Amino acid sequence: MAELVDLQNKFLRDELGEYVEEEAERQRMVDLYAETKLSMQNIAAAIIDGRHHDVDRLTREAIDDDVQALEVMDDGLIAGMALVGIKFRDNFIFVPEVLACARAMKAGMAHIEPILSASGIDPIGKVIMGTVKGDLHDIGKNLCIMMLRGAGFKVVDLGVDTSPDDFLEAVEEHGANLVGMSALLTTTMPNMGRTIEAFIDADLRDDVKVMVGGAPVTPEFADDMGADAYGADAVECVEIAKRLTEESASAHQ
Amino acid sequence: MTSRERVLAALSREPVDRTPCCNPTSLATVELMDLVDARFPDANRKGEQMARLAATGYTELGFDSVMPVFSIIQESSALGCLMQWEGKDNWPTVKMSQPIWREPDDISIPSNFLTHPDTQCVLEAIRILKKEFGEEVAVIGKTMGPWSLGYHCFGVERFLLMSHDDPGKTMVCLDKMKESTILFGQAQIEAGADALTLPDHATGDLVSGEYYERFLREMHTEFAAMLAVPLILHICGRTVDRMDGIARTGMAAFHFDSKNRPQESMEVVDSRIALVGNINNPETLFARSPEEVRVEVRENLDAGVQLIAPECAIPLQTSIENLKAIPESVREWHREKAVSVGS
Ligand code: B12
Ligand SMILES: [Zn+2]
Repeated sequence: MAELVDLQNKFLRDELGEYVEEEAERQRMVDLYAETKLSMQNIAAAIIDGRHHDVDRLTREAIDDDVQALEVMDDGLIAGMALVGIKFRDNFIFVPEVLACARAMKAGMAHIEPILSASGIDPIGKVIMGTVKGDLHDIGKNLCIMMLRGAGFKVVDLGVDTSPDDFLEAVEEHGANLVGMSALLTTTMPNMGRTIEAFIDADLRDDVKVMVGGAPVTPEFADDMGADAYGADAVECVEIAKRLTEESASAHQ
Repeated sequence: MTSRERVLAALSREPVDRTPCCNPTSLATVELMDLVDARFPDANRKGEQMARLAATGYTELGFDSVMPVFSIIQESSALGCLMQWEGKDNWPTVKMSQPIWREPDDISIPSNFLTHPDTQCVLEAIRILKKEFGEEVAVIGKTMGPWSLGYHCFGVERFLLMSHDDPGKTMVCLDKMKESTILFGQAQIEAGADALTLPDHATGDLVSGEYYERFLREMHTEFAAMLAVPLILHICGRTVDRMDGIARTGMAAFHFDSKNRPQESMEVVDSRIALVGNINNPETLFARSPEEVRVEVRENLDAGVQLIAPECAIPLQTSIENLKAIPESVREWHREKAVSVGS
């Protein structure tokens, strides 16, 4: 088990000391960073601090130094976003700060993505995400997408005001095994159920897992509608996406 | 006391014969739309229909105020934003994916701002309501604050990123957009509004409390000084961390959300501003029964909240029964108090 003092990057040491309060979670984060090179810790720190120019430069330098693209993504970018998610969940940072971190993540991914797609490495899962019909709230959904991408998923973003048909078509077109729906209005929440029904009618329900979220959505409501999972925030969204992907992978064996 | 007197007294934190039920934000429901034959989207665009639907807050539900602006987009439409008017069963919105402004220099308030159909209809609705109910009921108008206008005109994410990258530039933008808040507010006062709701969504769900201090407190203080009727600031979501700053603006009241406990909120504002709220919308008013509404009303009354209201624009499918439970529970609580004081 690593300790906080083992981390070479001072910024990371300070951040973990200050913002990760729960013991087990802090240990998990310390272990995560302690296993990585200093250059990767520096990338993670720049992500957490929202410095996109630095992430751009540090990522390029790492690639030039022959660090594997996957390593840069996992140990630098994704590791950085993990702490961003925790700080947001616990109200240490707010949406503007998270948007800045997301921009930094994008700056790094711009160097990684072409390499990964050229080498044909599979993402850990494909997710179709959208805000349901009639609903234009997308801040929460976009944060979930950013964290999902940060965790190595390929995400197709259908944007806002997404009809059941749009969800269906996207699943077929991209061969995705996971659908995520967001709703922020009580008036549009029922459209989650309608979308699930559309999947049943199209005989596609068994091919996909469905997760739902958004402030007014509750676990009970999710259950009633026949969703496979409910997530309260972006950190949970990633956790359930991983779980559902594993489930559907084992189901298809 | 008349309903109007009651609302105005409570907004000044003066004694009342009973706590008023107030609606700083929309009370419109599809049931009420059908009842008076005034439905979205027309009831958001035609003054006469707006007034007819707003009147139901008093005539059908028994609230002490009427409020004809059911959305937050009237002035954004007049500023030139692209609109999605929706149908009867959804609120209209701005297409924020196609924002109209990028830089401070882009900001300009069109010369027809107050004669545009989507601001005119509000002024007309206020005139009608004033004429018909002005003696008895408080007529509340609504003018959007610059922070919320920023979401619409710049796009939420772009506006929030700008606030992060360049606070100075953001201040310049807010300063230019506040013109709209003042102009539309003043026009509604002239049309007869007794009070104005001023939504400005610097909520804890999006931005820190420090943001409120940095960008908005002074500007809100300025609004309170410039607009000559009681102002009700509306920010939904978590706000208790910024209520101290809000209480120092000189606004008459703050319309608060159920994510903040009534007792704790009253302690923070410490008699410097009246509180209006905070019956939960999505869980209680929309999905539960009158009994649960009653429990929340009483929690607010016990805490000393000056005006009882739903926390924000109520879901359009809310039942009339649950809404009526608000004034009924308020009356019941006061009857019980009177008995216990008398005995
Ligand atoms: C910002 C905001 C807006 C912005 C939206 C901008 C945008 N691009 O998204 C603007 C100003 C445009 C707006 C408009 C409206 N809004 Co609005 N809005 C809000 C506000 C203030 C914050 C929402 C938000 O972004 N929260 C922050 C994000 C990060 O949280 P989140 O969305 O919940 O997402 C998190 C989790 O839920 C979860 N999650 C989200 N999606 C998913 C999906 C999956 C699969 C999973 C697992 C998890 C997950 O993870 C996220 C990250 O942690 C809320 C009030 C509040 N304080 O909550 C009202 C609120 C949602 N709005 C409301 C209303 C009424 C409206 C309008 C109708 C206003 C009007 N009268 O005109 C319009 C409707 C527009 C429409 N047709 O959609 C009401 C809804 C009432 C109801 N329950 O029906 C609210 C609740 C206010 C209230 N208290 O009543 N709004
Ligand atoms: Zn609100």
